[in-house]
Amino acid sequence: MTLLEIHQAEIEAIIARYASKRSAVLPLLYLAQDTYGYLTDDAIREVAAILALPATDVFEVVGFYTLFYNRPVGTWVLQVCDDVPCCYCGAEELIAALKQTLGISEDETTSDGMFTLQRVKCLAACDRAPVLQANLDYVYDVTPDRVQMLLNDLRARAAEARKRGVSGRFAEDYEFTRDGRLVQIERFSPYRPREFVIEPPAAPASPPSSVAPEADAGLDRSDTRKASPL
Amino acid sequence: MGLSEHIVMRELDIPDIADFEVYRRHGGWEAYRYALTEKTPADIVQMVKESGLRGRGGAGFPTGIKWGFLPKGVYPRYLLCNCDESEPGTFNNHQIIDKNPHQLIEGVALSAYAIEANVAYIYMRGEFAAAARTLERAIAQAYAAGFLGKKILGTDFDLDIYVHRGAGAYICGEETALMESLEGKIGQPRLKPPFPAVAGLYGKPTIINNVETLANVPRIVEKGVAWYRSHGTEKSPGTKCFSLSGHVNRPGNYELPFGVPLRELIESPEYGGGMKGGRPVKIIIPGGASAPWLTAEHLDVPLDYESVAAAGSMLGSGAVIVLNDTVSAPHVAYKMDEFFKHESCGKCTPCREGTHWLVRVLHRMVEEGHATTADIDTLHSIYRQMAGNCFCLLGESAVMPIKSALQLFPHEFEALVKQSSHRNGHHIPLMAHR
Ligand SMILES: Cc1cc2nc3c(=O)[nH]c(=O)nc-3n(C[C@H](O)[C@H](O)[C@H](O)COP(=O)(O)O)c2cc1C
Ligand code: SF4
Ligand code: FES
Repeated sequence: MTLLEIHQAEIEAIIARYASKRSAVLPLLYLAQDTYGYLTDDAIREVAAILALPATDVFEVVGFYTLFYNRPVGTWVLQVCDDVPCCYCGAEELIAALKQTLGISEDETTSDGMFTLQRVKCLAACDRAPVLQANLDYVYDVTPDRVQMLLNDLRARAAEARKRGVSGRFAEDYEFTRDGRLVQIERFSPYRPREFVIEPPAAPASPPSSVAPEADAGLDRSDTRKASPL
Repeated sequence: MGLSEHIVMRELDIPDIADFEVYRRHGGWEAYRYALTEKTPADIVQMVKESGLRGRGGAGFPTGIKWGFLPKGVYPRYLLCNCDESEPGTFNNHQIIDKNPHQLIEGVALSAYAIEANVAYIYMRGEFAAAARTLERAIAQAYAAGFLGKKILGTDFDLDIYVHRGAGAYICGEETALMESLEGKIGQPRLKPPFPAVAGLYGKPTIINNVETLANVPRIVEKGVAWYRSHGTEKSPGTKCFSLSGHVNRPGNYELPFGVPLRELIESPEYGGGMKGGRPVKIIIPGGASAPWLTAEHLDVPLDYESVAAAGSMLGSGAVIVLNDTVSAPHVAYKMDEFFKHESCGKCTPCREGTHWLVRVLHRMVEEGHATTADIDTLHSIYRQMAGNCFCLLGESAVMPIKSALQLFPHEFEALVKQSSHRNGHHIPLMAHR
């Protein structure tokens, strides 16, 4: 099935938001990337055809923006901020720990296709350094001793997503609650294929034993630091 | 300043304030309802003008005056909300949206009414996927309640607000690059003039403002100009959400009136809580990566646009990065210019080549340990060729870290030369990639 066949209603809704069709190019590229896992040449041409644009224009856009991948990437893309001030607040130690645990370097993918590691510039969460994004989900205050817990958590989420017949790229739809339940989170973005939104699990999946929800508060994805008066 | 005095980060301590009903119960959306039913768009523009509200995106340009640049009688007009927030050290937009999305949406809606725009786009950096979801949900609630859409609250005003996500490019925060990006192109800045107010998105009159700027508008309308001006200083009224990061005990966003001394932000137990481990302050970058550096001797500078400028820097986005004596100034300059090199859009030569060469030379000096006296001259020569010659402010900003480091800490560059002198005399490779 083509992108247009799979997501016709959503594509039309996106295009309707703009006075010019071309404005839909970033949203449609996100849609294509989430559907195919990465942007193949064919996917890029498909987007160009939907928007009646010269294919070279869309290739140029893909090359310009760093969040578009024109090569295969892991189920989880780990983007670690190494900018100022993070690099002076533990980012380098975190990257070293990730490299060692995963056995890969920057811009490489693990052989099981689960993780790609990247260095990125400021993620606008400098107060929570060291910080990373796993497929654009923030994980804050990731000290090296939490790396193993993080990776286990991400693997469990990917496995849950696969079990439900969802492409691994949508593993970020699953997350652990504070009490350790694995739940599907509400999807509210026009850039995501609604077909992939499935019923939340009836019975809570049990957390992997490595995630100890009570002992450690767990990985912190909450949006503000607790100490902040704001 | 107590919590009750917060203007932008108001009610962030209320649980579930992100929910429409809760925000409404705390007086949310009232300013908008009042404006639509009892005030004309021109009234609101006048109010914002008198409030002295200044743009929080970096330049500090008076918002009401900017709105006044729109050519009379030309429609459609667009309102763009700039949430690209990608400058190292800046993170308040992110928190405002995560915590209290309705305040921003109300601000956007009110401002759209004031400038007579029927469509507004909130352009968010691509990494803010979760925040985009939060906003989309809040926008849907506002539609459902009849605050957005057609014939709002029985008036003739129609408004649609859309979230548009970028895809990883700091330059898209520059207003004209943002418009290019929103039009589906690569994010390269446009030549100005024409300014966006005259010919912006799709060539139509467009107003672009930062998230924090627009989040101020509901309170100005609700509480009035005099109340607003009772905060901050004469020329910088109101409050600023300072994003404090680096080697302080309590990094975070702190909303304080303009004019608060840097020392108070860093040292007060309520805010920064002092330096980690009690180490001395070495470098203060008061306005995001683009701002010239300050040092410990500037701790008494009041944080408002004029005072920080008088101290030789700029308040910019209000992102205050504080670094202690463990960092090496050449290394900080290297990391910062690596950021600018990474984000240079490649349109003009001084920036594309200048940032590239700055990083190559600095990398060799700092990371590879090969430094010669000639390198110091080279660095001076590169930034001098960039300064004043770049197409947009990104290239001009890239001058600041290296220039500051060379001016404030020349001995550290000389020390690098000394340390590597025993290696000199044989070929020094320039790194081949990056
Ligand atoms: C390279 C560059 C990046 C910028 N990034 C941002 C940004 O992320 N957010 C922002 O509000 N303004 C940013 N600006 C400033 C905008 O161009 C523009 O001045 C601002 O959005 C106007 O809003 P204000 O009047 O409310 O400050 C940037 C400017 C430059 C030159
Ligand atoms: S100064 Fe840099 S970012 Fe700005 S137009 Fe030139 S190359 Fe692009
Ligand atoms: S420098 Fe790492 S999030 Fe800002």
